[in-house]
Amino acid sequence: MGAPVVRVQAVAKTYYRDQTPVPVLENIDLEVAEGEFVALMGPSGSGKSTLLNIIAGIDRASSGRVEVAGSELSGLSEHALAAYRSRHVGFIFQLYNLIPVLTAFENVELPLLLTPLSRSARKQHVMTALEVVGLADRKDHTPRQLSGGQEQRVAIARAIVTDPTLLLADEPTGDLDKKSEEEILTLLQRLNTEFKKVIVMVTHDPKAAARAARTVMLEKGALVAKA
Amino acid sequence: MKFLPLIWRNAVRNRLRTLLTLAGIGFLLFVLIFVRTALTEMQAWEGVAAPHLRVVVQHAEGLTAFLPIELENYLQSDEIQRHAKNVTKFNWFGGYYQDRDNLMPEFAVDVDVLRDLFTELQLSDDVYKKLRATKNGTVVGVGLMKKFDWKVGQRVTLIGTFYPANPELEIVGTFQATDPHQDVQMFFRWDYFDELMNQQKMVSTYWMEARSLEDVPRLKELIDAHTKNSSAPTETVTEKEFAAQFSAMMGNVKAIVTGIGIVVLIIMIMMTANTMAMAARERVTEVAVMRTLGFSAGGILAIIVAESILVSMIGAGLSIGVSLVIFNVLRFSPSPVYFPVFMVESSTVGIALGAALFCGVFSSLVPAIRSARRKISDGLRQVV
Repeated sequence: MGAPVVRVQAVAKTYYRDQTPVPVLENIDLEVAEGEFVALMGPSGSGKSTLLNIIAGIDRASSGRVEVAGSELSGLSEHALAAYRSRHVGFIFQLYNLIPVLTAFENVELPLLLTPLSRSARKQHVMTALEVVGLADRKDHTPRQLSGGQEQRVAIARAIVTDPTLLLADEPTGDLDKKSEEEILTLLQRLNTEFKKVIVMVTHDPKAAARAARTVMLEKGALVAKA
Repeated sequence: MKFLPLIWRNAVRNRLRTLLTLAGIGFLLFVLIFVRTALTEMQAWEGVAAPHLRVVVQHAEGLTAFLPIELENYLQSDEIQRHAKNVTKFNWFGGYYQDRDNLMPEFAVDVDVLRDLFTELQLSDDVYKKLRATKNGTVVGVGLMKKFDWKVGQRVTLIGTFYPANPELEIVGTFQATDPHQDVQMFFRWDYFDELMNQQKMVSTYWMEARSLEDVPRLKELIDAHTKNSSAPTETVTEKEFAAQFSAMMGNVKAIVTGIGIVVLIIMIMMTANTMAMAARERVTEVAVMRTLGFSAGGILAIIVAESILVSMIGAGLSIGVSLVIFNVLRFSPSPVYFPVFMVESSTVGIALGAALFCGVFSSLVPAIRSARRKISDGLRQVV
């Protein structure tokens, strides 16, 4: 196993509902090494998406340390966190979350607008990403003109286009039919094996988790087992 | 610039709503441009008068009282001529051509000094010679010629409204002025006017040109002191001050116009703010997704504000374009009697653009700040 890219140490997260504390994560320790594909499993409400959000820098831990690619996230300002997400994180949502008014090309290009790349360089990157997911011929289609599986592939292209350190997928096949689910999981596996992408995938589906090299189980906010 | 396609796509994502907002902004700015143009046209004379050293002698009681013809002797005396030149009697005739709606600026003057006093009127030697030689001759601005499709040599009859006379004038030539407001004027001989008025010697004002800026206050002092204890005391003012008297009479109109402008701006902001609030509400998840991709809160704020500015500016562009075509190209006047010229000034265009910019920024600030401040995780949960 390579050096750890993600290092989560004693992380806890507590939400407050009408001033009543609701603990979601408790004392989580987790390391994800370079080149790893980790599945994060657990029942609904176990805190797996919250943990993923904390690693992604879109939520903050109440206590503990989260270090990704050498950056300690809790010490970062909002602006620095945005830069961290832009540079290190590619996020894949369950519901794809493409911008409906933009074409597949423009959706994939979106994260690149935050980089100093020229227009032609952006185009090259976008086309490469779309080719990896097999949708170069659909670049001018809007999300409405694509199937669910195709939308998710565009979303994956968007997640990889900046060549991030880490791919985080939150139930990426949760809204797909069997065939599309297979396609997406195969694509994620390929990104991991062929392109050496570090992937952390939240799923409640054991079959999906089986595609990962390692599975981490969460229950009631705590790690219960590591497979 | 690379964000422009994103901003544009978001601005037009709900076409009907955007069209209605554009139409609303366009209409409101058209109203603003219209009322502001009405105001600037009311004050246009001041602008025309500003660069000149012309001085006007009027009766202290106002323009309805006449000045004695004998005053001219004093104005032509060495005491005054040391400080002034080109003295003329000057009456606004106030007649119309064929129809009462065709009331226009016609002036009876001593034509011997016309060209020297009003140097901005481009009168050829030939035309000027004919005017001086023809008792009922008149020179007409090119704008007025075009409006009535008059031809040189044509005889036109003016129907007096203020003076009981109907001068039959022969157009001996035309003139062009540097300012379009003067292109709709006409001048004819004061002695012909006096003949029609049975030699009553009704002088409304005397005009002259100060020899220098320093001579202006001296002229005022001398003339007003000379007439102080006479039956016709005078008030001597610069042409700009004379024009400003008319603007001052419109004090309430200015307040009304300003009020309309403020109301227009408020309605515009409310309308655009509503549109932007709706647009922001619809895009809570999208904003959260963009922030997940690495867009900062400030970047999101800038994009939403830019979108609002874009819509406002397109609305402004439409209303300015339509206004310029209607008023400046087609030369339409809402009231040819009160506004012989009704043209949108560049300052009015600037105000309309400024109002649109202000509206764009101000109307989107609240929804933009709210969108930018919302927690990403909350935004991602909002719509599924």
